[in-house]
Amino acid sequence: MPQKLDELSMARRAASELQPGQLVALGSGLPARVAEVAPPRAPLQLLSDSGALGYRPSTAGLAAVGPSLTGPDGVPVALAEGGSVVGTADWAAMLRGGHVDVAVVQPARVTASGDLIGWTTAATPGLFAPGRTVDLAAGARKVIAMLPHTGSDGSPNILADSSPVADGRACVDIIITDIAVIRVEEGGLVLAEVAPGWSYDDVAALTGASLSCADDLKEIAPSLEALNAEPPGKVYPDAPSAIRDIADGATVMIDGFGGPGGMAHYLLVSLRDQGTRGLTIISNTIGIARSVNFGTPPGKLAIDHSILVDNGQVAKAIASYPVSPSMSNPSSFELAYRRNEVELELVPQGTLAERLRAGGAGIYAFYTPTGVGTLIAEGKESRVIDGKEYILEEGLRADYCLIRGHKADTMGNVVYKGTSRNFNAVMAPSARITIVEVDEVVEPGQLDPELIVTPGIYVDRLVVRPRDFSPYE
Amino acid sequence: MALDKERLPREVVAMRVARELPDGGFVNLGIGIPTLVSNFIPDGSVVFYHSESGVLNCGPLAEEDEQDIDLINAGGQFLQMVPGMAFFSTVDGFAMIRGGHVDVTVLGAHQVSATGDLANWMLPERGVGNIGGAMDLAAGARQVIVAMEHTDRQNNAKIVQDCTYPITGKGCVSLIVTDLAVMEPTPEGLVLKEVAPGWTVEEVQELTAAQLLSAPDLKEYEL
Repeated sequence: MPQKLDELSMARRAASELQPGQLVALGSGLPARVAEVAPPRAPLQLLSDSGALGYRPSTAGLAAVGPSLTGPDGVPVALAEGGSVVGTADWAAMLRGGHVDVAVVQPARVTASGDLIGWTTAATPGLFAPGRTVDLAAGARKVIAMLPHTGSDGSPNILADSSPVADGRACVDIIITDIAVIRVEEGGLVLAEVAPGWSYDDVAALTGASLSCADDLKEIAPSLEALNAEPPGKVYPDAPSAIRDIADGATVMIDGFGGPGGMAHYLLVSLRDQGTRGLTIISNTIGIARSVNFGTPPGKLAIDHSILVDNGQVAKAIASYPVSPSMSNPSSFELAYRRNEVELELVPQGTLAERLRAGGAGIYAFYTPTGVGTLIAEGKESRVIDGKEYILEEGLRADYCLIRGHKADTMGNVVYKGTSRNFNAVMAPSARITIVEVDEVVEPGQLDPELIVTPGIYVDRLVVRPRDFSPYE
Repeated sequence: MALDKERLPREVVAMRVARELPDGGFVNLGIGIPTLVSNFIPDGSVVFYHSESGVLNCGPLAEEDEQDIDLINAGGQFLQMVPGMAFFSTVDGFAMIRGGHVDVTVLGAHQVSATGDLANWMLPERGVGNIGGAMDLAAGARQVIVAMEHTDRQNNAKIVQDCTYPITGKGCVSLIVTDLAVMEPTPEGLVLKEVAPGWTVEEVQELTAAQLLSAPDLKEYEL
């Protein structure tokens, strides 16, 4: 038999599947070695379930954070510039929420339909914890399985049958072994590449499933040059250019707890000037800063959602505090609501926050005690769990999110200021396109990775708010 | 005629509520009389304030020339930066509430029922209202205290057998402190525990639309 690929060669082949700018979650074992072969300065964000986001091996010539920061195998790693540290719930939310482009895992076996088998077997139910691999396989947009083609006894690790037990069904897109690269397609397994010296017949003989041969069967010879290309930048010259593609009928999240703090005034004014109509706005208030006078200078009006309502751009609001606290001083939204020009979906504040979190984290729905027995519960499924009643609430997502940060780096990592964090940090993961208005954009590495609140994977566009931009007009 | 008699000032209601707050506890104060409670924490006692604007351990309000739009409480008031303050997102702020980490919330109300139902988010005649954090606080805080005037300005009862306004939470109120009395909703009914000086049980009952059950140790409002 010709020689099999060593682990680093397999890792290089896996790395060549990646593209610049991608967020890549690596499992333990062979996948962890992908970090060793990825070009140190390539714009790839590697994610470990240990919480290291944007890491590299400590041998990559970067300053290691120390033994407190480890990779998937528990080995100390270093953070690349712009990297940060996340908790386990955030790691899982990145996966389930669809924010991870590629996951690389090492199962014990893979089936022809792309099932992962590894930890649970018919003989050992419950003995082995599948741990993170279940999350990796279920959440990432593309799953690469790396494993030896056969077991130590020569039996195939790629099987035809769907096992009665699996740790992930139909989730693997591509299989990289020590002798072959196999694509999992709807019609079955397709041999795309072979290790030097190996033929289709050699590989097929060691595969436990039927294997078709690609017309352009190649020898494995990965190149990682393309990984060094710079992805498009996130910093936009001004607010109008950052919001230009928001189209009529879009759903837009806008923060602003109540007062002018935490509100992206520059983006908001640009959205008014653009005139986009039929908007659904998801927000805590739908413009009360103008009626309540939170420190507004005499003769001025606070900039808030009211400027969109007054301009006839809002069709619907999903909000928790939609009207002025004073009945005698109604907000623009309340007046439009009385004229039947806008719809309102009223949501308790904590439920709104959790619905946004769930939407961004790939959780479809959740049970909450908030609102039981009230109008909010009408028409909603309810359940008694351990003697307490809960109602089912669904996650929320939007097309765009306009939020206000304090500082960001060019990779989109954001920190906030004081109580202006509130809904901003919650909304960032929940929109297809997240646009952040900040006071200052700095170079990667200039924000303390331990203090980053919104990692750049959630941020698509950055705009610097002009220094003299006033929250009042 | 009871209607003409002097009732306790708002500050005294707040002072009475302050006695209920556990030393070292985490407390969320609503707007109105509840906001005043922080002025009357007994000497030697400490409470930590939680605000759903995303801050823990908030304290005094900022002076007018030191107002910062990035430093507010849930009522929109400007806060002073004080040692030990912690900022967090709205998700975390409400996890603290629903997860049972907030010991007491003090809220105002439009109506409270004899069994502790709370209505404080919408006046039916307005047809639209603000829920804000009220439903989460009602459902999640370990103890919900209502601090309010005993009646509205037209002397309509705010303490009722059953709420006629849309409710915020069912059976969630554990203590009602008004400018006339201290009452405890129970499954058996509303127990009158303390009465304002100069007021009789009958006079308080006259302004209450729920049957009051006198506590065995019924006493004068105790500060």
